[in-house]
Amino acid sequence: MRAADLRRRGVPLAARGGVAVAAVLLLPFAVGDFWAYQLGLLYLYAIAALGVGLCWGRAGFLPLGQGLFFGLAAYLSGLALIAFEQSPWLLVLIPLAACVPGVLAFAIGVLVFRRRGESGPYFSMITLALALLAYQLANNWESVTGGFNGLKGIPGLPGLDSYTAAYFVAAVALIAATLGTGWLYRAPLGVLWAALAHNERRVVMFGFDTNRLKAVAFGASGLLAGIGGALYAPQQGLVTPQLCGFVLSADLVIWAAVGGRARLLGPVLGAIVIGALTSGLRDRIQFWEIGIAIVFILVVLLFPQGLVGVFAPLERWWGRGTRRAAPIAAPARPAVSGDARLEIDAIAVQLGDVRILDRLSLAFERPGIYCVIGPNGAGKTSTFDMLTGELPAQAGRVSFDGRAIDRMQTHRIVRLGIGRKFQIPSVFAHLAIADNVAIALWSGRARPLQLLRPRLRRWSSALLDELQLRYPFLADAERTASQLSHGERQILELAMALLGEPRLLLLDEPCAGLSPHETAAVIDVIRWASERRGATIVVIEHDMSLVRKLADHVFVLHNGSLIAEGSVAAIQANEAVQAIYVGAEK
Amino acid sequence: MSVPRLEFEGLCGGYGDVVVVRGVSGAVAAGEVLCLIGRNGVGKSTLLKLLFGQLPCRAGSVRFEGRSLEGIEAARRRALGISYCPQERPVFDDLSVRDNLTLMRADRDLAALAPLLARFPILGRRLEQHAGTLSGGEKKILSFARGLSEGQPLLLLDEPSEGVQWENILHMAALIGAAKAAGTALVVVEQNLAFAELIADRYLVIDQGRVALEGQRGEIGRERLLAHLQV
Amino acid sequence: MEPVLVAQALNALFGIATLAILALGLAVVLGLLGVLNLAHGELVMIGAYCAYVAQANGWPYLAAVPLAIGVCGVLGYAVERWLVRPLYQRPFDTLVVTWGLSLLLRKCAEAMFGLGYKSLNEPIGGTVEVLGAAYPSYRLVLIAVSVVVLGGLFLWYARSRTGTRIKAMVGNPELARALGIPVTRYASATFVVGTCLAGLGGVLIAPLVPVQPFMGLDHILMSFFVLVVGGLGSIGGLLTGSALIGGANSVISALSDSTGGYFSVLALAILFLWLRPRGIHARS
Repeated sequence: MRAADLRRRGVPLAARGGVAVAAVLLLPFAVGDFWAYQLGLLYLYAIAALGVGLCWGRAGFLPLGQGLFFGLAAYLSGLALIAFEQSPWLLVLIPLAACVPGVLAFAIGVLVFRRRGESGPYFSMITLALALLAYQLANNWESVTGGFNGLKGIPGLPGLDSYTAAYFVAAVALIAATLGTGWLYRAPLGVLWAALAHNERRVVMFGFDTNRLKAVAFGASGLLAGIGGALYAPQQGLVTPQLCGFVLSADLVIWAAVGGRARLLGPVLGAIVIGALTSGLRDRIQFWEIGIAIVFILVVLLFPQGLVGVFAPLERWWGRGTRRAAPIAAPARPAVSGDARLEIDAIAVQLGDVRILDRLSLAFERPGIYCVIGPNGAGKTSTFDMLTGELPAQAGRVSFDGRAIDRMQTHRIVRLGIGRKFQIPSVFAHLAIADNVAIALWSGRARPLQLLRPRLRRWSSALLDELQLRYPFLADAERTASQLSHGERQILELAMALLGEPRLLLLDEPCAGLSPHETAAVIDVIRWASERRGATIVVIEHDMSLVRKLADHVFVLHNGSLIAEGSVAAIQANEAVQAIYVGAEK
Repeated sequence: MSVPRLEFEGLCGGYGDVVVVRGVSGAVAAGEVLCLIGRNGVGKSTLLKLLFGQLPCRAGSVRFEGRSLEGIEAARRRALGISYCPQERPVFDDLSVRDNLTLMRADRDLAALAPLLARFPILGRRLEQHAGTLSGGEKKILSFARGLSEGQPLLLLDEPSEGVQWENILHMAALIGAAKAAGTALVVVEQNLAFAELIADRYLVIDQGRVALEGQRGEIGRERLLAHLQV
Repeated sequence: MEPVLVAQALNALFGIATLAILALGLAVVLGLLGVLNLAHGELVMIGAYCAYVAQANGWPYLAAVPLAIGVCGVLGYAVERWLVRPLYQRPFDTLVVTWGLSLLLRKCAEAMFGLGYKSLNEPIGGTVEVLGAAYPSYRLVLIAVSVVVLGGLFLWYARSRTGTRIKAMVGNPELARALGIPVTRYASATFVVGTCLAGLGGVLIAPLVPVQPFMGLDHILMSFFVLVVGGLGSIGGLLTGSALIGGANSVISALSDSTGGYFSVLALAILFLWLRPRGIHARS
């Protein structure tokens, strides 16, 4: 963070941070040894809870077995401390103990997040099962883990003996973990996680491998739990199988939820506050734990913003004065030669008993605007789904620029230079307009490691500038996309599809629900995009007046196959075409 | 006509934010067929869903036998006397043809449906088969038979002839004629002009969510109707 | 026939019957309503505790059945009405909410009965001779009850009018509403049936396992994995899933230890997860 950025972001952020850090570091002197000890432990749990918040609040899937990673790191760290007491090797081994769960979590994520479609429930159940399995393993493998009684007599970290020292280690780790997670949230990776939590299909349609992104999120959460666990062993001196098991995993989820899973500090607040209250009141108030379970259910149903939500107005007041920094020019899309020829050859798609596409053959030979028309159920949207790899074909071939794409995964097909706009406007409603646009810019341009750099959020391009001139609302960076009208959302999605600078653009009823004025504007943009970028644009439309204005060439589909093609005039004169619209007597 | 069986005024509605039907009015009396004509995407199916209560009306009113249907949900409208045959997913694929026909009847007896089965022997041949194995047109015939057999005062049909062979379309027209004579009112969405001409008493031509043309049978020439259907 | 083989076969049958009857409640709710009820295991636990209460009070064991069905039925109705119904369109949130419920139920059981294991006596002791092998009577009773319940439910669903209407509602809810099928009422009743089945399962297995507040966790996981492997479409799938999961667990546990058995079940579940591209709903 350069000084200029700091200044622009306003004094409040630095002041906020400084005050908080100072308060945390000075706390033990205020509250005494006993509470310093308790807080030290809670800080480690808070680090693990951050991981739950990352997966659940950001990326949209629920890990029910984080105890596995916490316990694993604790055991590894404990074993290292016992074996290499006071040795400098510990400088390497303890961090390694924290990293192993991260790698394991990433591997599990890759294994579980494989197919398209909701993997939510499976993932949660598998993490739960893994935690129980780990508990059993820890219990039974007496020779290594000490069995039910656990690993005992673990020495503290070399040179740090007092409760206060342990507290500082935990506090510093928590602050570092929080800052690190905050940085991930601000980076493009964090924006993509937030996007895929609500609209994964759209993120895939921008060329991102969402399964890999989710695995990275889970890996990060594993690392966070690992940090907590690795520091737990020297702090507590004892590691038992309970850590791996269900109870801690459940508590982490509760703390993340009650604290406020969607915000960075929510899980931290939840872990510290609820954790402290529980250890203090659990014995005195008889139904404390039942109460917490009820609070959890109520929070999930009614107050998802959690404890942090209570402080939201205060935060807004304190956060005033932060402005967005100046835009940076995005690098050019890697140039690909070739004319974007698309050939569909005898494609057959069958779902159950229904033949959706029946030996469909189409060719888009040169750049221009093509229109696909046909009655309901003709297979127009299904053709787009098949082209982008979402609908597998049982027979036939599709080639784009001579390359077969019919067996490719969606995000790879998109990377070849195909963009799509869905029939129902599909933008990231809960993200700001600027983030929506940024995701479109990263599509096909950002290399994987670049997704960790927050400066990518400031990318802009010449095309974006032109679009913002035509549609000023696109420049209204902070406004959430959900606040836009239907027509504006159509245009935003169209703009996002264009910003990827695809060579083949698939537009599904781009003017649906637009006023005549908005429709004229969209037609304008489509023509401009075709002339300026030389792209091949394929439009599905019902409205013949629009088809007349746009199309260089028209394809008519019926019952999943092509029945006619030609200029608009030729189609209108074609009796077979008219017959299917009017119904036949034969 | 006295109190029309169904009348609707200034209906506006659509899906989510999108307004598809923008102020459509019309009426149909007992023993009459009102045909909604138009190209796809103009809002005919949406209009039917608004009439049946599957979609909420943003504006306008629907009255059934003089009584307002505002706030009454679809299942209750059915109990009040309105039957509906949707365009998409018109039958229960997992159930047999027999079960599709008799699901809401008192028993599984098909005696009362004999005249329908006589006209559409394909249904009789496939009684115990899963409806999901039928072709698109056969499903439409099944759905039509079910709707007609409910014998209610008002029947809403969404493209009943889609994918159906001409011989069976003629049977449908004959059955609709018989239902009309018995006093049933029908609102039929159609794109098949020949079929519409067989059954319609009044036309409502929809374009871009609005009424482009309306009138009695005989008042509107074929040419004008074709103009609104063709591309 | 060799008595040892008969005993092995009966053991296998017993294992499959147990898994199937315990998974049935979850299958009904997940298969028909699309809701993954994470509190399913706790409902089994409640059934088991009802059996304990019956036995502790000296009532005949059979009294546990109406008790369990009553408690789980009321609970099921309340849960569907207030927790699940508002969230039908948000399956992820129902997952989270039912998980919270499972937590709550576990804590309540802990408060009422303590953390310790409760051990129940088998209501029907002794053994019965089957084809030359002596087999515990209670296990035979369990097998018999499972067969009756599974078979009875399947037949009822396939033949009865209400069963057909529920089938219609599951496949095409829009059309079902258009026909006047009371979808909300049927959904509620289906959920209640699912929870009652879970309670019944708990009553059945209570004499055979240590009854403690955390027993539900194993059962929700096993039931879920049975459904992943066997699919939701049919009783045949349920039995296949039970056979595969039960089989894997037994075989691998005998070869290594119970942890190995558990691991093999997990591996099998992940494998089937890959093989089913559209997830559990094998319906096209």
